[in-house]
Amino acid sequence: MKDNRLNMYRGRTKVLLALFIVILLVCVGRFFQLQIIDGNQLKELREQNINDFEYIYPKRGRILSEDGIVLAEDRKIYSIAIDLEQKPNEDSIKLFSDIFSDQINFQFVKSKVEQSLKDRKSIVVLSRIGQEDLAKFFVRSENLIGFSVVEDYEREYDPHPAFFHILGHMGYITQSDINHFSTRIKNYDPSIWRKVGKLGIERVYEKELQGIHGRKSFQRNARGDRKVITDEEPFAEGEEIIISINYDAQKLAYELMEGKKGSIVVIDLEDFSIPVAVSAPSISANDLKDISSTQYQELLNDPSRPLFNRSFMGLYPPGSSIKPLLATFALSNSYTTWDETIFDDGYFRFEEEERVFNAWKEGGHGYTDLNKALVESSNPYFMNLSVKYEKSKFVKLLQSSSFGTKLCEDCYPQQFSPLINDAWKQRNFGKDLYKGDFINLGIGQGYMLTTPLHLSLIAGSLALKGKYKIPHLVRSNDFDLKIDIEIEEADWVKLNQSLIDVVYSKNGTGYRIEAGELNLAGKSGTAQLVDINSREEYNEVRKNPDLRDHAIFIGYAPYDDPRYSIAVIVENGESGGRVAGPIARDVLQELLNDI
Amino acid sequence: MTFDLRTLLIASSLTLIILIGSLTIYSVTSIDIYYFLRFLLISIFAIFLVTLVFNQINLNRIISVGWVLFSVNLLVVLIVEIIGSEIKGSKRWIDFGFLSLQPSEFMKITFALFAIQYLRFYNFKFTFFRSIALLLTLFLSAIPIIIQPDLGTGLVYILFGLILLFICGMHRLYFIVMGLFVILLSPIIYNFGLTEYQKSRILSWFSSDQSLSEKWNILQSEISIGSGGLFGEGFLNSKQNEFNFLPEADTDFIFSIYAEQFGFLGVLSIFLLVGIFIFLTTVFSMEQKRLADDLSPYFLGTYFSLIIGFSFLLNILMVSSLIPVVGLPLPFFTKGGSSLLCFSIMIGLIFSSRSFLK
Repeated sequence: MKDNRLNMYRGRTKVLLALFIVILLVCVGRFFQLQIIDGNQLKELREQNINDFEYIYPKRGRILSEDGIVLAEDRKIYSIAIDLEQKPNEDSIKLFSDIFSDQINFQFVKSKVEQSLKDRKSIVVLSRIGQEDLAKFFVRSENLIGFSVVEDYEREYDPHPAFFHILGHMGYITQSDINHFSTRIKNYDPSIWRKVGKLGIERVYEKELQGIHGRKSFQRNARGDRKVITDEEPFAEGEEIIISINYDAQKLAYELMEGKKGSIVVIDLEDFSIPVAVSAPSISANDLKDISSTQYQELLNDPSRPLFNRSFMGLYPPGSSIKPLLATFALSNSYTTWDETIFDDGYFRFEEEERVFNAWKEGGHGYTDLNKALVESSNPYFMNLSVKYEKSKFVKLLQSSSFGTKLCEDCYPQQFSPLINDAWKQRNFGKDLYKGDFINLGIGQGYMLTTPLHLSLIAGSLALKGKYKIPHLVRSNDFDLKIDIEIEEADWVKLNQSLIDVVYSKNGTGYRIEAGELNLAGKSGTAQLVDINSREEYNEVRKNPDLRDHAIFIGYAPYDDPRYSIAVIVENGESGGRVAGPIARDVLQELLNDI
Repeated sequence: MTFDLRTLLIASSLTLIILIGSLTIYSVTSIDIYYFLRFLLISIFAIFLVTLVFNQINLNRIISVGWVLFSVNLLVVLIVEIIGSEIKGSKRWIDFGFLSLQPSEFMKITFALFAIQYLRFYNFKFTFFRSIALLLTLFLSAIPIIIQPDLGTGLVYILFGLILLFICGMHRLYFIVMGLFVILLSPIIYNFGLTEYQKSRILSWFSSDQSLSEKWNILQSEISIGSGGLFGEGFLNSKQNEFNFLPEADTDFIFSIYAEQFGFLGVLSIFLLVGIFIFLTTVFSMEQKRLADDLSPYFLGTYFSLIIGFSFLLNILMVSSLIPVVGLPLPFFTKGGSSLLCFSIMIGLIFSSRSFLK
């Protein structure tokens, strides 16, 4: 009996001892797995624990105007951010909000701290603090646990609204930015950059401006309060970009457009750089820095569209300003000569369709040759020509004048002037072009749309007898282009004379410009925004300012040795000669005085 | 005084374990020689003291005041609950300045003394009433430990108490019934009996969500262990400890730091030493010559041997994430004074119960 009990005791002890040994062996297996099988992988994780790095952001390159004025540069700013490594506590939050009670309150700071801890991301509580606030912070910094001063760069722009559309602005990187830059910048690493250029030069020259980021590698402990720097890769500041914009002329041009909507684009015909490109109305690029999303929405929904760059994006019917180009086209294809005359009675009758088109001048211009048709801007004369246009040759003219192609290497964003051909009309209307279309196209109306940049380029290429290059703001593209027209030297001289007469002869539509010694040649235009069948209707339409015609003037100066070409569009300005012309005169005057 | 091979093995394995434990503590606690010496001295002093003071005769006297020791211990646990200093939200320490003690640790010893005293009176014969009385005492005395709140120590206390009753021969039906009860009641206990903190500990063991801070501890522990590889990073070379990535590196997770420094071979050595020590002391205790007269030295010897072994295993299972984190000390490694003292006393009692020094 006793032996039985003894055996039972011993048996039970043995069971437990066996259990101990089995579990011990399981542990051996487990440690074999952790240390031998997964050892390297876990060691890798340990290195990730300890080794960390942070980027050193370079100063972004400055942007200067052609005459050396700084338009955009990085300034050092100080902000106060939540330090995740030493979490703020109730006391330090209280103290912090007391010190800066003029700017923030306790609840605000507390919510920021909570958000920061939740997202495990340092959040800025007070941005762009001045010297005085900085001093206030440092005096009490020992008690301000969990708050730290961070240095950063901030983009500062010339505040004048003339420069916003050219320079663009910076913004936090989005997926579409990543897509954009990945295709354009080699080995683009979007994780590095927090802010990128959104528009304009800032975007086009992102790679050059951003510089090369540095990298500081260090070992740190779990709390992050001990750091040992192990490696430092140097950074390189961004390149300086000098753009072709002329500071004073650009500013003047914008001021001339004050209160108006529209655009001015000037091209320097020596190298096809762009000294002036104004889109009005505009804003100061600095205004977008801390804009709230509702304020941004308001700007986007503003009917005057201040964020829209009309110079490169706005599509306008060129109206009569296209007539000089069409005149060379007609001469090149012998649709007319300088001597051919028609009788302009203020109407054009399109017999095939039995339609009658009104011209702008009541009673017409009487007997009209090509010179008079240009100087006094006769629509019937050009409508008469347009019925002779051969479709394929007309499309070739548009193509060789850069319709449907990129107009500028570094203008962003930009819109192409549509190339009007059968394919285009099929796409938009499901039909081929037909004869009647050319009557409207022949006076720069109907489907014809051009950007101000394109109109300025057309003016320039006419000044240079059909030759031109792609314009630019920074880098030139020296590829020579030519409009597909073959006319005699004498024809170019006569065309030049007609465009001089537009401005200087008493009958000229641009006589009121009073260009004086500027030696301006050009062509005015008005772009109708609605189809009008009678003059009564026209007067009715005029009562609504938004439906009034756009005033257009294109030209170049000096006419004997062209240096600048210009296009001015004043939306709803009605008269190209009276409204757009004088603006062109003042801008060109400023530029030519500068030389 | 006869030293046979087995005695030699027991003595040398224990010495090595204590030495390695002290060195590991030294390497973890900002390389402070004070910790090393204190640790070494406390353990050696306590073991020798207990071994020398008690022999089989006065061990019997100790057992005969088992109920007093147990009651006093329980009382101290309750008092600490009211006045004890708070460490990490758990009230369970008495601060003696040089040593802060967690009285609940000693319940493993005093309950055994009490139970053996009680059973010895009845010549270790279990009846229904005695079984239920002992089980009730065990469970009720566990309540203050669990409430403190230290679920881990409480559960281990119950587990070890049951091991004692198993060794002492309580009918296996009780264990089967209790096992079934635990299985059936576990969902209810989980939902109503546990605090959020306790739930999160258990959850984190099952979940793969690394953001939970409990999971972070386990991950860091695995990283430390794994980084050791075969040969280890070398003594004083634990980067996980140097850069503070492993929380509780000097208490619950100290073995991970040991594993990082000494690698798989070092881990195997410790396993071997512990295995030898536990196996031999258990077998020694089973070979009690005077077994027929009084079984209490047998029970005490095997009980203490085995629970030192299981304490070791539970901590190893925890740091290698085979069981949830329950905050169990590793014998002769963990920094805490109470567990060191407690295990030293157990060893002393094992030695005195066997009367190695004849």
